[in-house]
Amino acid sequence: MMRMLLLFFALSLGGFAQVRHEDVAKGAAEDWLTYAGSYSGWRYSPLKQITSDNAKNIVAKWVYHVPEAQGLKSSPIVYQGVLYITDANSVFAIDGRSGRLVWRYAEARADKGGVNRGAAIWADKVYFTTTDNYLIALDRHTGAFLFSKKFADVDKGTTSTSAPLIAKGKVIVGSAGGDSGMRGFVMALSADTGQELWKTYTVPAKGEKGSETWGDLIDWGGGAAWLSGTYDSELNTLYWTTGNPWPDYNGAVRKGDNLYTCSLLALDLDSGKMKWHFQFTPHDTHDWDAQSWPMLVDTEILGRKRKAVLHANRNGFFYALDRVTGEFLRATQLIDKITWAKGVDEKGRPIMLPDSDPTPQGNWVCPSVKGATNWMGQSFNPGTGLLYVLTLEQCGMYYRSSQEPQPMKNFSGGGATEEGGQVFLRALDPKTGKRVWEYPMTGLGRMWTGTVSTAGGIIFSGDDDGHVVALDAKSGKNLWHFNVGEMLTASPIAYSVDGKQYLAIASATAVFSFGLFEPAANVEPPVIQVKD
Amino acid sequence: MRALAFALFAVPLLAQHGRYLSDSHHSSIGNPQAIAAGTKLFMGSCAGCHGPDGGGGARGPNLVRRALWHPLSDEAIFQVIRKGVAGTDMPPTKLTDDQTWNLVAFIHALTGPASTNPAPGDPAAGKNVYWGTKAGCSNCHAIRGQGGSMGPDLSNVGGSRPLAVIREAIVEPAKDLYYLGNEAATVLLKNGKTLNGVAKNRSNYSLQLVDAKGILHLISMTDVKHLTLSASTPMPLDYGARLSKDELRDLLAYLAAQDTRAGERKGSK
Repeated sequence: MMRMLLLFFALSLGGFAQVRHEDVAKGAAEDWLTYAGSYSGWRYSPLKQITSDNAKNIVAKWVYHVPEAQGLKSSPIVYQGVLYITDANSVFAIDGRSGRLVWRYAEARADKGGVNRGAAIWADKVYFTTTDNYLIALDRHTGAFLFSKKFADVDKGTTSTSAPLIAKGKVIVGSAGGDSGMRGFVMALSADTGQELWKTYTVPAKGEKGSETWGDLIDWGGGAAWLSGTYDSELNTLYWTTGNPWPDYNGAVRKGDNLYTCSLLALDLDSGKMKWHFQFTPHDTHDWDAQSWPMLVDTEILGRKRKAVLHANRNGFFYALDRVTGEFLRATQLIDKITWAKGVDEKGRPIMLPDSDPTPQGNWVCPSVKGATNWMGQSFNPGTGLLYVLTLEQCGMYYRSSQEPQPMKNFSGGGATEEGGQVFLRALDPKTGKRVWEYPMTGLGRMWTGTVSTAGGIIFSGDDDGHVVALDAKSGKNLWHFNVGEMLTASPIAYSVDGKQYLAIASATAVFSFGLFEPAANVEPPVIQVKD
Repeated sequence: MRALAFALFAVPLLAQHGRYLSDSHHSSIGNPQAIAAGTKLFMGSCAGCHGPDGGGGARGPNLVRRALWHPLSDEAIFQVIRKGVAGTDMPPTKLTDDQTWNLVAFIHALTGPASTNPAPGDPAAGKNVYWGTKAGCSNCHAIRGQGGSMGPDLSNVGGSRPLAVIREAIVEPAKDLYYLGNEAATVLLKNGKTLNGVAKNRSNYSLQLVDAKGILHLISMTDVKHLTLSASTPMPLDYGARLSKDELRDLLAYLAAQDTRAGERKGSK
């Protein structure tokens, strides 16, 4: 046996399939090669074996319990039948048909706890980032370590939670940790070596343009980039959102707009240079990070065909911008109750209502700190022409602390609580910004599930009560549900192996895969021989 | 034996890259003087139960091997030495902090990641052994993407395994369960195709096989006509004789230095 193995080893290496730029660029199909399924962020699958007619026949195919998981936020990557899913500081390769673990990589020595939202794949390598800011590249077949690169210092308040986005051989990573004071950035590393290619800060340095919108705390201003972004290969532009300014709830110590926090940045892929920016919430005092997906959709808006970027923001408004120029086009209400602004002006700046800031006694403001939406994956379905967004109708109390701000001490200048509320999955028409249908959920506003929509005309998502659901993409009608018995905290995906479609989603502690019911096959078992 | 082997199948998958929690920031760890002082204490007070090499005795468990399944942090070992283990023969001690840390340093040298302890031998000479034809390690094992894919990746072997365990895996690879998840397999599919490689994971329903080119094959057992598995490890059994004492020592020094986080360790507290 050994001789046979060595003989095989002696055969020439190479010649196996690799993930190329064009594979990712064409969007999801059998495989799901990037966090949002495509560079445009659609979370859309062209698979149509599972339809609105047969969704009633969906059954669980397998479940993989992720050891020690407590709230998985990872959306799987799939390539050639293998799912790659992450938890903090670990990657699991799972057989997409059987749910069996193929390999696991764990970086037990990472210098921080936390969460992770997913892996990335390029050529024959799987990439993820650790909580202490290492980019790690692994062999996709075996999980063998290939290289690692430390790209930021955890001692400066930065941690890493997002799935990398890889475009044209550049691994784009971001920074988390904005709620405790740090300086946010987006960064490109070489997919071949991990070498730093560029780094663009989301908060200017003292003296730079934009620094006039800050005070003395600019060095710790936040603006974290804790969610992946999207990419337009024709414009060679990355669209990346940024988090709140620090300290979160005390705006008195950072007077001004606090650029470029709570914003959408358009960055050149090759240089990282900022082409334009749009700030949704100037001088935010409610922790309304802009971390929600910038969806790249070409559609007619206000009577004109536009290359648009659509963005449902935590602050309660649903925005459409021109993604070539950054021009503000339109904003509509994402949720029914917004108490801090009566709308947005012609430039897209919120028209503030008085007495909306946090106070020492607490101020009741809508939406709540969780926001009208959050990082849950939205989906755009070109078949229905609709965008599907998880929304939360919830208000909350916001408190301000007058304590001296101290960075990296878990200090956010106050606090917030939320009460009651209800989650709705809403279908929005990008042309008008208006609601087409909504699916109300029961629960306590604790879910973090996103959506995937398919050419089969279904929306696959999770509700606020631990049920995976399939809805009709046109009407929002519930077609099927499955109780996973715990909260759903991640976004689903679709994939296919051997011509069979699957829908996969991580719950708090496990990964589930679903498909259409098939009767068990009566197959002759193989002969298994064990030789000494 | 096979039943036991497959029941424990998941273990090497989990352990492959190390879930080692023994990283310590204390200055005694890896310090030769502290280890030497700890050795004296161990031989006087601990070896009677745990064996002179920590390999276990009639009254005390094997400290080296248990680290594979239940690694303890250095701080936890410190507390166990101080307080003992209630309900067992392990008594509390009255050692000073320094004495206790010296003892922890010795136990860490036995049971902690090899890269955190001084290893005898010349890593540069060991590198030649590793990549040379006599040992032929790189035919099957990769380090940082170089080498074969049939055997476990060794990029972090020093950062995740005690030196004694690495040594044992080389000179006595069939002694324990090192080969699990790395069994040589030949698969004849119902479509007539034959695949050779190592069975990384197998159940009655599916098989994940990595071939000699390092390519993963996901196989449904319903597609398999005949499966031949090796009862033993594909790892050669003769390294104890094939390599000289110096070559083995140097090879161990080279492997001990394989740590994906080399140079990133913190200083003393």
